[in-house]
Amino acid sequence: MTEPSAPPEAPPITEPVMGARLHPLTPFVKGWGYFVVAAFAMANNEGLRSNLKIAGLGLAGVLVGGILLGALSWWFTKWQLTVDAVRVDSGFLFRRTRIIRFDRIQTIDVAQPFVARLFGMAELRMDVAGGGKSDGRLSYFTYDEAQRLRATLLLRAKGKHAVQHQAPDVEPEPLLVVPTSRLLGATLLSSTVLASAGGLVALIVSTTVLEAHTGLFAGLPLLLGVVQPIWKQVVGNHGFTLSETHEGLRTKRGLFDVQRQTVPPGRVQGLLITEPLIWRLLGWSRVDLDIAGVAGSKADGEDENEGAQLLPVGERQEVAGVLARVLPGFDLSAIEMHQAPERVKWLRPVGWRYLAYGVDDNVLVTTRGWVSRRTSIVLHHKTQSVRLQQGPLQRRLGLANVHVDTPEGPTDAIALHRDQAEAAALVEAQANRAREARRTAESVPAQTHPNEPSPDGFNSSAASPADDNSAR
Amino acid sequence: MDDLFAPSDVSWTPVSPKLAAVRRVSTAIALGVLAIVGLVSFGMLLDWLYGVLALVLIALGYLWAWVLIGRNQRSWKYAEREDELLVSHGIMFRQLVVVPYGRMQFVDVAAGPLERAFGIATVELHTATPATDAKIPGLHPDEASRLRDRLSALGQAQAWGL
Repeated sequence: MTEPSAPPEAPPITEPVMGARLHPLTPFVKGWGYFVVAAFAMANNEGLRSNLKIAGLGLAGVLVGGILLGALSWWFTKWQLTVDAVRVDSGFLFRRTRIIRFDRIQTIDVAQPFVARLFGMAELRMDVAGGGKSDGRLSYFTYDEAQRLRATLLLRAKGKHAVQHQAPDVEPEPLLVVPTSRLLGATLLSSTVLASAGGLVALIVSTTVLEAHTGLFAGLPLLLGVVQPIWKQVVGNHGFTLSETHEGLRTKRGLFDVQRQTVPPGRVQGLLITEPLIWRLLGWSRVDLDIAGVAGSKADGEDENEGAQLLPVGERQEVAGVLARVLPGFDLSAIEMHQAPERVKWLRPVGWRYLAYGVDDNVLVTTRGWVSRRTSIVLHHKTQSVRLQQGPLQRRLGLANVHVDTPEGPTDAIALHRDQAEAAALVEAQANRAREARRTAESVPAQTHPNEPSPDGFNSSAASPADDNSAR
Repeated sequence: MDDLFAPSDVSWTPVSPKLAAVRRVSTAIALGVLAIVGLVSFGMLLDWLYGVLALVLIALGYLWAWVLIGRNQRSWKYAEREDELLVSHGIMFRQLVVVPYGRMQFVDVAAGPLERAFGIATVELHTATPATDAKIPGLHPDEASRLRDRLSALGQAQAWGL
């Protein structure tokens, strides 16, 4: 969230730089955590507390140093829009230039971390396929400016088709709002929370009844396991609102940090529907999306797969409605699912009943898991590769797995433990379907790509040199 | 049964037997170091008899590895279809990968010092997901660069959007 030190630098590019600076309050908003930590450290240090003068001096020094560093970093950070890219120059010791090509931008969000919101400022987050999460961040702007810039960038990133829609960005009509009570209920009934709570109860019982105090150390992680998901779900997803704009579906959520995210329709790579055991009884499920550029940035440690959430918890018809929005004309219940053969029970005594896959003209669906059921939906024309796999035990039983690989994300479409002849045929069929789907998607820009120019912008190997500084 | 992992409608190219040689040499180096460490440490600490025993065990293990490496090398093959690259390999854990050329993000040609000494190289095709495991080891350098050029040409020509 807040990072006082400068990010890793790339080789300098010596070029005269034109461009605008960010909002002057930026260093303060970025560095507030640094000040808080410094003050906290001062207050907690026994030695310093007894000598308030030194503590005051130290704090003042830290403050001045921090402000100076922040101001320098702010002064040397400039951004500008060039013909086909956003260019950001930063760093005062090591200059760095980052160029983010418009056609590589997958999604653009305006985010407002808590402190930024207090000051009415916002951060622009551009997700670039294959890049880390922090690569495409530009902060801070005033909220209005960020929205304007986002609109401009979206227009450039998606071609000129959308120019006439350059209406001021009003909050669109919500399609669906997830009530906080359901969020809370769903979190309390989720498998991790239940398991952690169970562990905690067992621990308390064992320590009080059996007086086995050694186990107490396990309490903290267990407590975290209870509190953290609740915090994350209830605070992070508070007032989750899904709405439809001309740019695609938009989600808005958060109690303190309001996150807005737009999902351009053509960027969806796959969907994952998760139904933990108890949710299934209540008819609840969660829907996550694979969007090129959003997921797969766990290296940044922050909130993994954060942006890929389409519905934190929804009822059956809500889920069906959302699916139909993302994939026009798609009806999950209409797809015929093929169960895994019975001999799989030697490998999966319980779970074999839940292994299934189904195919239609546009998607492949796989389900698995009996504690938490996962339904993956992948689009044929987004398929990256198809794999057939078989281990020694599977060979005994004449079984094989089929993997349909899509870009990194929560979705993992694996048709587990199929009959091997069927699996081989499926691989062949998937390869053909992917080829066909891609051909039709190319000749007719299908309704899933309303605003996009047909060469999808993301060309294969033509990487521009400046935009992958993040060593992955 | 075997053709499940190698459909017969395409012509499969095997990889060079030098791959087995490279792997045998590298295994020999690794096991050799282990053997010396084992021999010396067992010999010094317990008895030289145990050291020799460890040596014999490692030698037997190497013989087994020799056979496995040979079988594994023979299992590697690839085929270029009109729109896809097919790579098949494995004896115990078998895998067939089908990658459309248009999905390619970039191609790597790599050769370590041992591989270079034996005159082979590895071609790896990367897509937008690391799950795609399309790697062909044990190619003659000329074949490797031919494949790289062909793959990148095809990848450009057929490039699919993400």
